[in-house]
Amino acid sequence: MIEARGLTKRYGEIRAVDDVSFEIGAGEVVGFLGPNGAGKTTTMRMLTGYLPPTDGTALVAGHDIFEEPLAARRAIGYLPETPPVYPEMDVQGYLRFAARLRDVPRARLREAVDRALERCRLTEVRRRVIGALSKGYRQRVGLAQAIVHTPPVLILDEPTVGLDPTQIREIRELISNLASSTEGGERHTVILSTHILPEVEAICRRVILIHQGRKVVDAPLAELTAEGQSLEEIFARETARDVVEEAAA
Amino acid sequence: MRHIPTIAGRELGAFFVSPVAYVVLSLYALLAGFFFLSSILQFNEIVIRLQQFQAIEQLQAVNLNDYVISPFLGVMSVVLLFLVPGITMGLFAAEKANGTDELLLTSPITIWDIVLGKYLAAAAFVLLMVALLGLYPGILFLYGDPEIGKTTAGMLALLLTGLLYAAIGAFASSVTANQIIAFVLSFVLLLLLLMLSVIADLGAAGGALGATGTVAELLRYLSTNDHFETMVRGLVDTADLAYYGAMIGSFLILAKAAVESVRWR
Repeated sequence: MIEARGLTKRYGEIRAVDDVSFEIGAGEVVGFLGPNGAGKTTTMRMLTGYLPPTDGTALVAGHDIFEEPLAARRAIGYLPETPPVYPEMDVQGYLRFAARLRDVPRARLREAVDRALERCRLTEVRRRVIGALSKGYRQRVGLAQAIVHTPPVLILDEPTVGLDPTQIREIRELISNLASSTEGGERHTVILSTHILPEVEAICRRVILIHQGRKVVDAPLAELTAEGQSLEEIFARETARDVVEEAAA
Repeated sequence: MRHIPTIAGRELGAFFVSPVAYVVLSLYALLAGFFFLSSILQFNEIVIRLQQFQAIEQLQAVNLNDYVISPFLGVMSVVLLFLVPGITMGLFAAEKANGTDELLLTSPITIWDIVLGKYLAAAAFVLLMVALLGLYPGILFLYGDPEIGKTTAGMLALLLTGLLYAAIGAFASSVTANQIIAFVLSFVLLLLLLMLSVIADLGAAGGALGATGTVAELLRYLSTNDHFETMVRGLVDTADLAYYGAMIGSFLILAKAAVESVRWR
């Protein structure tokens, strides 16, 4: 469903993302881990078409992000680190706008918005202005925006950051539901970036760990923790190394 | 292209839920009322004086178009210079400050959809402003007999000037994430555009640019001033229409490049 081929992003001399490749099948839920500044957001932005890679390319639902950018973007639901909401709009107006941007046919607009509202449990605040909502609700609106066009691929960038424990649990449940629910016979493929490890353990079945712009781990969660190691230990071990210097040596 | 109305609709909605639209519209109406009244009073005074002196020939030359409508439209074009940047400053800058540009740029729409949609919203607002202004010359038609053709040409000149200002404002907003910078930048650009003809005149009077008439000519061509004046005098020339079209197109192309440049970094 998602195939990254040697994705690289350079800012002058700095390699924010360096030759990252991976393949994610339909219905997989992948935790995208790494310390702050490891290149998680940059990688996601390249997949979603916000930033073009300096090198390499990616295929989303079979569409090359360079050759068929619009088709690739249509297949993605994306929640950036800060939910991209307009504070002055009301919730349903905003979702309607997002659905129209993603080519949801006019006849199915209402249905699509209603479903997204329901799934993100926003129905009771549908007429409220987004700027007046709490952070947790705003995050849910961001999530609703990502699923309103029922995309096969969901890319979520730190969806629980800055929320209180109750809200975190709610958002996690929501993501788990999305991941396990069927969408036209097919399950959502989810990439979830975070540095909160229990989140990965709770939701994901596979882990990709990025450190200093490079992929250092890519394995099923069960396999990683099979030898009794916790994800935290693995994370600490892998991110303690300086991969850039190792490669140079 | 079918996303243009989606973008434009949201933008227009945003104008009217924020105080900006109301502040701009009421300031505009207020200033328009003031300047209209002062042109009328001045006209009245001229007519009374000429009657006192029994200057029949001069009295015949005095008319509503040249003594009320044209100066009024001229002043209002300067008012647009202050107010249009207020409308356009948020077009792109607010998206960047809000992080909502990430929604637009990751949606299956083209950058032209975004730029044209936003410009269309600003253009519709300018149209509303100019239409409101049409009320004042309208009053003159009730009580006097101005020429309809000349008045229409003048209104068209004001509309085109406003549309050009909106394109320049859109460009200024596209290069920054800060609305205040966008406002100041578009204001400076607009002032410069207006002043180009003044600079050209300085040159013609024997200044630094006086030596080469072509530079002065070029400056005068680029400036909005002469095109506006010609049209307000009642002369709708395709050359002037082409000027407005080309300038608006150029600034929209620049805005598109600036929005796209997020992707070059």
